[in-house]
Amino acid sequence: MLPEKRLLTEDDMKLWEASSTKKELLDFISTLAEAVKGCENSQISEPISPAINTLEQILVSIDKIIDKHPVLEDKEISRFGKKEFRGFYDEINEVSEKLIHENFPSLTHEQLEQLTIYLDESWGNKQRIDYGSGHELNFMCFLFGLYKYDVLKLDIDARNMVLIIFIKYLDIMRSLETKYWLEPAGSHGVWGLDDYHFLPFLFGAYQLATHKHLKPLSIHNEELVEMFAKKYLYFGCIAFINSVKTTASLRWHSPMLDDISGVKRWSKVAEGMVKMYNAEVLSKLPIMQHFYFSEFLKCPEGVSPPGEKGHIHDGKEDDECLAEGHTHSTWGDCCGIKLPSAIAATEINKKKHRPLPFD
Amino acid sequence: MEMTDLEDIAMQDAIEEEEGTQFKIDKENGGTANSGIMKRDLNINELDEWISYLMKCETLSENNVVQLCDLAKSILQKEENVRNVNVPVTICGDIHGQFHDLLELFKIGGPAPDTNYLFMGDYVDRGYYSVESVSLLIALKCRYPDRITILRGNHESRQITQVYGFYDECLRKYGSANVWKLFTDLFDYLPITALVDNKIFCLHGGLSPMIETIDQIRDLNRLQEVPHEGPMCDLLWSDPDDRGGWGISPRGAGFTFGQDISEQFNHTNDLELVARAHQLVMEGYAWSHGENVVTIFSAPNYCYRCGNQAAIMEVDENHNRQFLQYDPSIRPGEPSVTRKTPDYFL
Repeated sequence: MLPEKRLLTEDDMKLWEASSTKKELLDFISTLAEAVKGCENSQISEPISPAINTLEQILVSIDKIIDKHPVLEDKEISRFGKKEFRGFYDEINEVSEKLIHENFPSLTHEQLEQLTIYLDESWGNKQRIDYGSGHELNFMCFLFGLYKYDVLKLDIDARNMVLIIFIKYLDIMRSLETKYWLEPAGSHGVWGLDDYHFLPFLFGAYQLATHKHLKPLSIHNEELVEMFAKKYLYFGCIAFINSVKTTASLRWHSPMLDDISGVKRWSKVAEGMVKMYNAEVLSKLPIMQHFYFSEFLKCPEGVSPPGEKGHIHDGKEDDECLAEGHTHSTWGDCCGIKLPSAIAATEINKKKHRPLPFD
Repeated sequence: MEMTDLEDIAMQDAIEEEEGTQFKIDKENGGTANSGIMKRDLNINELDEWISYLMKCETLSENNVVQLCDLAKSILQKEENVRNVNVPVTICGDIHGQFHDLLELFKIGGPAPDTNYLFMGDYVDRGYYSVESVSLLIALKCRYPDRITILRGNHESRQITQVYGFYDECLRKYGSANVWKLFTDLFDYLPITALVDNKIFCLHGGLSPMIETIDQIRDLNRLQEVPHEGPMCDLLWSDPDDRGGWGISPRGAGFTFGQDISEQFNHTNDLELVARAHQLVMEGYAWSHGENVVTIFSAPNYCYRCGNQAAIMEVDENHNRQFLQYDPSIRPGEPSVTRKTPDYFL
């Protein structure tokens, strides 16, 4: 069975929150975080395993795809995201399975099918041209799957999964965000941690947890931020935010980061980040309604059955709906909507759960 | 006393304008008990005091918010779903808690009540000062009910504000969700559309496949949370699109509509133009659908990063239109809010 979205209601969320799947995923992320405690970005663990090298090559290939989709239309368009992002997204979807297969030939066809969707969904939403911590979570699930399929080994690879692989992923995301003006998905605006990311703050706080001199308050010191932006993920994020939010100081545009900077020790920030990730990402329906369950991320018993899923308005499903003579996708619901009659769509949607509307 | 406070204020306002004199009110303050909180009726002096306070980007106390929302409710519930507005008027788009840019808007457009304003929703979420921005607009609405119109945007909703920041902000600034509840309860009373001299139809989002004539909007029951579908939802959520006809909106609510739809709607209702907000446009305003639709966005450098200009649209007595564009205001120093460690980090 292909991975599918299952969390639709608050009752589903209760089952999910108590599930071993969620615990295992959070434990996985905590293990990676522990593995970079006290490490600068450059302090990778050596020797680098072949799996990490191969995985990095996959990311290098993905990075190159960006160049094939330059932003051509700079004319005024009403959406803030650049439409050329969709070309990038489509190409990833086309090549991802082949890319994983070629680089990890030991994976079976079924395993590839399970993994691919997570890599596809790691870069943002095609239709809305946005990105948020839910997409970032997909990349973690991709790594988690590779670990479950014995491609990656936590005892050897954990640190490099962050310092090589996640950092490369973040580099690609920064390119996508700046090039295609990805809109922050479900952004709390200034009241969220960050427009796009969560994990670089979490991993970054662990990196700093044992630092003798740098304090959480150091994020307000421009010189220190500049000096440590390339050494620590947390400072890298602050530098990025400062570079894109230009009309006001950090205290204005990022009150949450400002509040956290009042915490005395980085180790306390690190602990808090895991708690916050658990509560604000893994336990939030607006994010988790898009979460895919699979063979290695099992859906808890009792959650709404897959047949009841609403017509989910994101990504390629919609496109197929809108295209003339569209082919059948795995989303049976889409074909129930007669287009262009929008009233029919409204009628059908009335009968179903709907995801929270976007902005 | 026959008149409500509100009419009282509005009338005194009118007298003040007619006579052109400074008007001093000595209104007796009757005490009324409501939902367990002792309240006094508001007078104009008090409102003026609050407005000058709010203009300095201060927040009102929770008790004052109770009073303000109460007064605003009594005003807004008398307004129709389609509010008639006369020219001259200046039409504004999304604000999103960018308080200092709202002050800039009043500098560019002229202070209230010298200039009549029509705001098309989305006062809260995302920016730092949603509480201050929406308090100021509501206070101005109460003080000058006939000179200011505030419509409802898709963000004036309980569900959306819990996702996009206003809820977090209220919690952060007041220590509880009470003020969030007061404001979101009030949002149910905001009118959803306006009609400027029967020629310019103003609303936050766009058209609905279930609405052909403006009269159909008059029949809606708007006193509710923004629904997930149906005409009221569409009016607050839809977007114009290059494709013709109706389309599924990538937002997950409302629809996209093409030029054919806009032309038909304007023709049917004898309109010159649909003015709406809801989408970021780099110049602050953007024409679409062969000048049948204009988008106005009044939050410059949206989210402190988008690099867009903001704009407002002045419509004068002769229906001439002029767009005034502006850039982000220069913010003074550091915010006054003290740091508070989030619970996760204690």
